[in-house]
Amino acid sequence: MDLFFQQLVNGLVLGATYGLIALGYTMVYGIVQLINFAHGEIFMLGGFGALTTYLTLPAGTPAAVALPMMLMGAMVVSVTMAVLLERFAYRPLRGAPRLAPLITALGMSIALQELVRNFYPEAKSARNFPQLIDPDKRFSLGGSVTISAPSLVTIVIAVVGMVTLTLFVRRSRTGRAMQATAQDPDTARLMGIDTDRIIVTAFVLGAALAAVAGVMHGLRFGQVDFRMGFLIGIKAFTAAVLGGIGNISGAVLGGFTLGLVEVMATQYAPEPFAGGAWKDAWAFVVLIIVLVFRPSGILGERVAARA
Amino acid sequence: MSNLLTKVARQLGAGGAALVLVACFLPWATYSGFPGKMRAVTPGGARLYVMILALFGVLFLLSAPGRARALRGTSACTLTIAVLTAVFISYAGGGAGGLGIGAILAVVGGLAYLAAAWSLPADDRPAPIRVLPDRSWRTTVETLLVVAAAAAALIAFVIGLGIPTATIASGEDHLLLGAISFNDLTNESQFLSFLIFLGGASLALSRLGLVASLGALTKKHAKVMVAASLMAAVVFPFTQGGDGYSLRIAASIGVFAAAAIGLNIVVGLAGLLDLGYIAFFGVGAYFAALVSGSINSVVPVHLPFALTIVLAALVSGLFGVLLGAPTLRLRGDYLAIVTLGFGEIFRITVNNLDGSAGPSLTNGPNGISNIPDLTLPGGFSFGDNHVLFGINLPFQANYYWLEVVLVAVVMTAFLRLAESRIGRAWVAIREDEVAAAATGINTTRLKLLAFGLGAVLAGAAGSVNAHVVKIAAPDSFTFLESALLLAAVILGGMGTVHGALLGATVLYLLPEKLRFMQDLRLLVFGLVLVLIMRLRPEGLLPSKRRAREFHEPGGGGDALSAPPGRASA
Repeated sequence: MDLFFQQLVNGLVLGATYGLIALGYTMVYGIVQLINFAHGEIFMLGGFGALTTYLTLPAGTPAAVALPMMLMGAMVVSVTMAVLLERFAYRPLRGAPRLAPLITALGMSIALQELVRNFYPEAKSARNFPQLIDPDKRFSLGGSVTISAPSLVTIVIAVVGMVTLTLFVRRSRTGRAMQATAQDPDTARLMGIDTDRIIVTAFVLGAALAAVAGVMHGLRFGQVDFRMGFLIGIKAFTAAVLGGIGNISGAVLGGFTLGLVEVMATQYAPEPFAGGAWKDAWAFVVLIIVLVFRPSGILGERVAARA
Repeated sequence: MSNLLTKVARQLGAGGAALVLVACFLPWATYSGFPGKMRAVTPGGARLYVMILALFGVLFLLSAPGRARALRGTSACTLTIAVLTAVFISYAGGGAGGLGIGAILAVVGGLAYLAAAWSLPADDRPAPIRVLPDRSWRTTVETLLVVAAAAAALIAFVIGLGIPTATIASGEDHLLLGAISFNDLTNESQFLSFLIFLGGASLALSRLGLVASLGALTKKHAKVMVAASLMAAVVFPFTQGGDGYSLRIAASIGVFAAAAIGLNIVVGLAGLLDLGYIAFFGVGAYFAALVSGSINSVVPVHLPFALTIVLAALVSGLFGVLLGAPTLRLRGDYLAIVTLGFGEIFRITVNNLDGSAGPSLTNGPNGISNIPDLTLPGGFSFGDNHVLFGINLPFQANYYWLEVVLVAVVMTAFLRLAESRIGRAWVAIREDEVAAAATGINTTRLKLLAFGLGAVLAGAAGSVNAHVVKIAAPDSFTFLESALLLAAVILGGMGTVHGALLGATVLYLLPEKLRFMQDLRLLVFGLVLVLIMRLRPEGLLPSKRRAREFHEPGGGGDALSAPPGRASA
């Protein structure tokens, strides 16, 4: 039974990362109906932004100082890139066929990966990321179930981030403007909402959360790689769809579900389909099954047919 | 006052363009070691392109006052080629001192040409479609024009493919840009110049209404057009002088194009966004590989190819229906992510069925290699070289022709379907599913049909490709491949055959020819995708209906082009 609970913990940690990134997808999709394929790269840039910050800090800076600085650095890089992306790759195409921004998103995804690979020093293969939180330090959660220090931090920060975002969207003026824009951009504009600014806000918030996820990823695995955003990005988008795209709680729920499915399938799937080699396949199988029975995702509202 | 300005601008522009023309007959390089023809007086290569583009300028600035705007893009292309060539010359010739008087004059004249084209008042009248006078010779001339257009396309393709770039010249990748010799560098600059020239010339021709006129002609003489294009495609190997590499590239473009046209049925006609299309291609490829008699295949049978291709298409279609039946009631992006998921499941599965992580079937990450050459019942082997009419035809020509047949079949299928009752029903579903259902269209069955047919065509293309590249491996069926196919469809213009064909050619040829940029080529490729979509969001060759929708003030109204916020509200 301990094994089950251990996998439960592992699944939640993985799900927290997916959830953080999925929030960015879901906010942008909810407002402009765009699958921002370059969002995975924003996550990756967050990791590299943190690494750069760390390298510019004087050696021997205590972790308690370095870590917040790295988070800030990561956010600055990711947010800047997301704003540029919106301004130059998505906004000019707002009236265009819906597939056109999908292609620019794809182009930017390739370009950003290649940008880091070619111009970040020694980034052609994975770069070591400072292990500021000792990964060998593990906390017991009863029995033999443990959680490593970086994982614990990941969960805590992820939950804090998700709660803050939910409160922001539900309570703040800007948040309510975001909801209004998502519901009906034209009417929102008539009510005096600067929808352009709201769209940028969605990109900024999503990028900030992705940057946090990028730093956490670096801390847990001890390295960052220019390719790391691609698969995680696709899976985070899957998580967003699983939970019901456009729905903020749905993204979080979808993230945790996907993380749990992956981890549990690795452990409990029938032989020979268990093990790490099949985990991604299981994630997508569950996605297809869920969508067959709930075509709008777990928490998604049934979308009325367009009149 | 503004009249005077216009007059001055026009004179200035014509003068600039004329200066460029003159410059083309002066040497562009003084550097004695510089290879190529840049030191000679007679124009060739990039200078020829600049000359033709400048000629447009002189003619139209002086004779067609209202049409100056048509030259905006063209003049920019002229200047770009001149500057690019000058940069390459000075790079190879050791600094600006290597530049000849011609290059400098061309840049100066090009600047004047550009400034004039952009400062002249805009004229947004659509160019008229030109029709020949109704005389006895009209049909003959029209037929000749259509044939000439097909020939011109072939020539452009041969020139573009034939300009040797670093890869072709040496047969391998260079490690650093610096390792490319001066000679290669002039080739690279020539290829880029050619591309820009094509862009500039087609801009001028389309703004003058000649492209639309030609389009009307080819529609009128559709049979001639088909015969001429087929002829051009068939004679292509004879123009290559026995070069197998370029034939191989052409064959790969064919596969890519066939798959893109198949995807165009699903996305362009029926409006179903499929992000895992390459998986159906992969099903066909793996099926063909398994029954090909390869020593790496665990299936000890060797089916004849004709049977293989049919079975591969059917198996792939079966997968399409199995996936489509439960999921096609999903809307837009949900369907997209399901197909993406299916694509990933396929890739992971064939990667794992190697006997250790799963049952032994696909030889895992190494794939099924050593697929033997195809043979026809008469004893003809696709692996043999031939000599026909005294021209060497390497064995790649056999596969190339196989691809031509494949593309022709897929194109016919697409065109027949698009014009049929089924095709019109698909377009109706794409435009508005609710309205389509209300008019009595069985939307579920038709969507499933589109999905299944797309899978069948992909399966057939995949089975052919397995024999062309002689291997089926998981690496070829990644999400990126699906995305590139989709990019080919959208880039070319959704819902048309020639659009998908052009998109596939551009997307395949560009990375192949940009190899001299080494590490930077994917970066440039990504940025070019963004740039093209920003300049022409409706695609390079959109269908007439889409182009019109797109230029209506209110924008298009179909499911894939709804303005933000409207799609699912």
